[in-house]
Amino acid sequence: MGSLIGIDVGGTYTDAVRITDGHIDIKGKIPTNQDDILSTVIAALDHLKISESKDIDHITVSTTLVTNAIVQNRLPDVRLVLFPGSGMKLSALPWPVSYTAFAGELDYRGRVVKETDIVEFQALADELKQVSPKPLTAIVSKFSHRNNIFEEKLAAFLKEEVPELTVALGSQYGQTNFYRRSLTTYLNVAAGELFHRFTEQLLQALAVRGCHAPVRVLKADGGVLPLAKIRPVESIYSGPAASVLGAMAQSTSEKSYVIVDVGGTTTDIGLVLSGSPLASMHGAQIGDFLTNVRSLAVRSLSVGGDSAVIMEDGEITLADYRLGPAYCIGGHVPTPTDAIRYLNLSDYGDYARAKEALMTLLPEDQQHTQKLQETALHIVAMMTEKIAQAIEQLLEEWKTEPAYKVWEVIHHQNDFKFFIQLSGGGAPGIKVALARRMKTETILTDHSEVSNAIGAAMAKPTFSWTLHLDTKFRIYRIEETGEQGCWTGPKKPHRLVEDFLRELAQSHIASLGIKADDLEKEIFDYFPLVENYHTVGQIIRGAMHVPPGVIGRITT
Amino acid sequence: MKNTGVIFFPAFDWSLGELHPEREERLLYTQEQIFEEGIMDLPQIRQYSPGVSHIGDVLRTQAIFPSPKEHHLDAHLIAVGSSLVLGDALMKKEIANGFALVRPPGHHSGATVWGNRGFCTLNNEAILINYLRAKYGVKRIAVVDTDVHHGDGTQDIFYHDPNVLFISIHQDGKTLYPGTGFITEKGGPNAWDSVLNIPLLPGIGDEGVIYALENWIMPRVEAFKPDVIINSAGQDNHFTDPLASMNVTARGYGKITELIKPDLAVLEGGYAIEGALPYINMAILLALAGEDYSGVIEPQKPVDKEIGGTAVRTYLNGLKKQQEAVDPYWNYRNDHFLPGGNWVYLEKSTYYDTDEFKENRKDYIRVCNHCGGTVLSMTQKLSAFQKGVLIRIPFEACSQCEQAGYDLAETLTKSEKTVVLQNQLRNDVRIWNNGEEVSTFGLKN
Repeated sequence: MGSLIGIDVGGTYTDAVRITDGHIDIKGKIPTNQDDILSTVIAALDHLKISESKDIDHITVSTTLVTNAIVQNRLPDVRLVLFPGSGMKLSALPWPVSYTAFAGELDYRGRVVKETDIVEFQALADELKQVSPKPLTAIVSKFSHRNNIFEEKLAAFLKEEVPELTVALGSQYGQTNFYRRSLTTYLNVAAGELFHRFTEQLLQALAVRGCHAPVRVLKADGGVLPLAKIRPVESIYSGPAASVLGAMAQSTSEKSYVIVDVGGTTTDIGLVLSGSPLASMHGAQIGDFLTNVRSLAVRSLSVGGDSAVIMEDGEITLADYRLGPAYCIGGHVPTPTDAIRYLNLSDYGDYARAKEALMTLLPEDQQHTQKLQETALHIVAMMTEKIAQAIEQLLEEWKTEPAYKVWEVIHHQNDFKFFIQLSGGGAPGIKVALARRMKTETILTDHSEVSNAIGAAMAKPTFSWTLHLDTKFRIYRIEETGEQGCWTGPKKPHRLVEDFLRELAQSHIASLGIKADDLEKEIFDYFPLVENYHTVGQIIRGAMHVPPGVIGRITT
Repeated sequence: MKNTGVIFFPAFDWSLGELHPEREERLLYTQEQIFEEGIMDLPQIRQYSPGVSHIGDVLRTQAIFPSPKEHHLDAHLIAVGSSLVLGDALMKKEIANGFALVRPPGHHSGATVWGNRGFCTLNNEAILINYLRAKYGVKRIAVVDTDVHHGDGTQDIFYHDPNVLFISIHQDGKTLYPGTGFITEKGGPNAWDSVLNIPLLPGIGDEGVIYALENWIMPRVEAFKPDVIINSAGQDNHFTDPLASMNVTARGYGKITELIKPDLAVLEGGYAIEGALPYINMAILLALAGEDYSGVIEPQKPVDKEIGGTAVRTYLNGLKKQQEAVDPYWNYRNDHFLPGGNWVYLEKSTYYDTDEFKENRKDYIRVCNHCGGTVLSMTQKLSAFQKGVLIRIPFEACSQCEQAGYDLAETLTKSEKTVVLQNQLRNDVRIWNNGEEVSTFGLKN
């Protein structure tokens, strides 16, 4: 087996590791240049001496490229055309972007209730012909995940009239939720060019360095896909996923644990249940955009080793922002890192400067050892409390997940015993305090400082195929790929449908170019369709997953 | 912000039979519609996860014969438990109102339970009401049952309770299950006029229901000054309903919800699972959340014209006069096992359509000027020759009625096989089998 390379672009630092046979050969941390993510990634690869490395299995990148572009509003505008039909008013939900609503209505089984209006199509085409450059265009209809007919129709019309137009369809993101599907389609097409440029330049830079290893990108759900196969929007929030995977790669436990990754600016908290990372019930939210991008159930807290400690109304408080690095490593404001250094819970930074930092928080007559000690402990306690509350919230969220079946409610297991796996620069500082606060064991991860890069390098590919089959209407659809096709099997296929989905998944796995030995089947739901006291067919819902996880474990 | 709590529990793995209206598919399209609309993403909507009710919370309100263990209650306990979760959220002021969008339904299930009838085994709303009284000390509660069928179970449970106002508006019992809910049913001797039944002509439509709400139901609710208003939100008044014929639209339901302003709505019946439920549930949710529901339009259009107009108003005004003119008439009994006091005697016979058997019941109500009065129900499942006794000491019982309850228990545990003492006053339930006390079900814990 060759080496695995992992790069995690963080808010402050970019972590990089090279792992060979479960051992870390080289690791490093370089400052992130938020304005030039590409050069940051290349610098990290150079730090790992990529041009001298032979036999690299793959390079995995976890990047904030798309996240930043969305949050900083740097993406191009997209012309969003909706077919909302009737129902809730569009204005009931906050739309962070403008849209045009067209006539045409489908119902929940994809039946046409009201036809589209060709006059509207023509007016749009005429308008688009006038503008240059052509705007990116996204077309989304309510219930298009049940029937893409309106989207396809308008797309075909526009292709004829305005051939050079780039058009994206909501049915490609086939999960239920018109609002999220619209915004996800929007973001994905908006991020397309940025992401494409990034991948081209990255591959070029690697080629210059004589490296032709496959490049993979980490997704928010903790899985990876080849560079060419990933949808740009799926690369958002990979950082917290990297934290979770990094901790998993360094834990020998198949048990359940909470992962706490204390970074410079943020702390990520995740949950592993019996060896599997917990996925979020809802799609990720990024800025003002609610998406249907699957993510791990992770909390990102604005608190970290570099959070500014400030005086507010005469009280020492922990700010939810960073004002440069910690005082003890050359910064200008006191931080939890200084408190931790002063208490000798870590040897990171200069002790004398750490003490100086704490003294700035006290009046001159109180700058004695006992008071400094108290202040440092107080700062650590504030940080611990914030983290502890976020852990409790995440556990509560998991315990109160919606359930739709009697079986799920009766068998909901929420009495796991948890320990806490701690990583990140600030981790040693809160180890004891957090254990005491949460009344459980806390374990420090060995390679804390590059945990995220390890997570990226060791991440397994993931994919899901969620089937919705209506045997009465003879239509099947796959949520994740947007595939819609004709069902030729029987009206009550029972187990046959599982084989159908497995074959479909396996052929897709091959086309994705990923390895997937552990295709997991979810319980399939069969809804008999009854008309006039006869069963006329079934609606079947089921899913197969290549679940997220890590390729192996780091050995020390 | 005014939060609306929602529990969506469609029980996708539970049915009363593959072809039964109460089957897995019932809320499938409601889920498709509501989730596709993004209603759960509305900032004021808060989705809660279903709960499982403790059997003690059930027994405080309903006696289950011959024993709870003889019934499959899992799904029912989740429907109840989910209603209680929203009750807690309401009392903790996490939400301003809520909708338990749950299966299975409950409003046909009465004070004594031998099985499933009208698709109901446990009464979600009644258990919720007594839970709120026992746990939070809520005093006065109004129930408005807008299911097309008479809420006979809920009426049965609160018939002698002056602190619960029960109003049911439904299709006339002469033309529809369960064949009760006439204007003469106005409550027991200690709770006269705490029950109001409004049987409607088939085909009455949005206008008629809204007229009844504005001119009859809501004035009664307001005069009662309830602390909490519950809506038994059945959806079978819809024009596409296969079992009834009331001609109400989804937007009509939105308006109904807006008029009732329920603190908590609980789904009851409604079996037009494609034509009605996705749209009505959406309209109710939007109305509760204070959103515009005028865009909720069913693909189908009503075939029959709604009656509406003067005809409906004349009918309802006449019915109101008739209802107000009904005077109480009671039979008194002095059976040997009855303690001191005057006891009114009532008889009823109930058919359990799902399981196909009949229950006969004799009720004795202690007439009291101070409280709801202790109630004795002697029930019999005819086909099985099984008998049961329920003694209920009501919330806020006076000391004489409380003592009467204990006296009844002492006497009847000697002669009757199964005796349930529902002591709402002390929040305690005791059960005897052949004179032996079997379990208190830990209600007080």
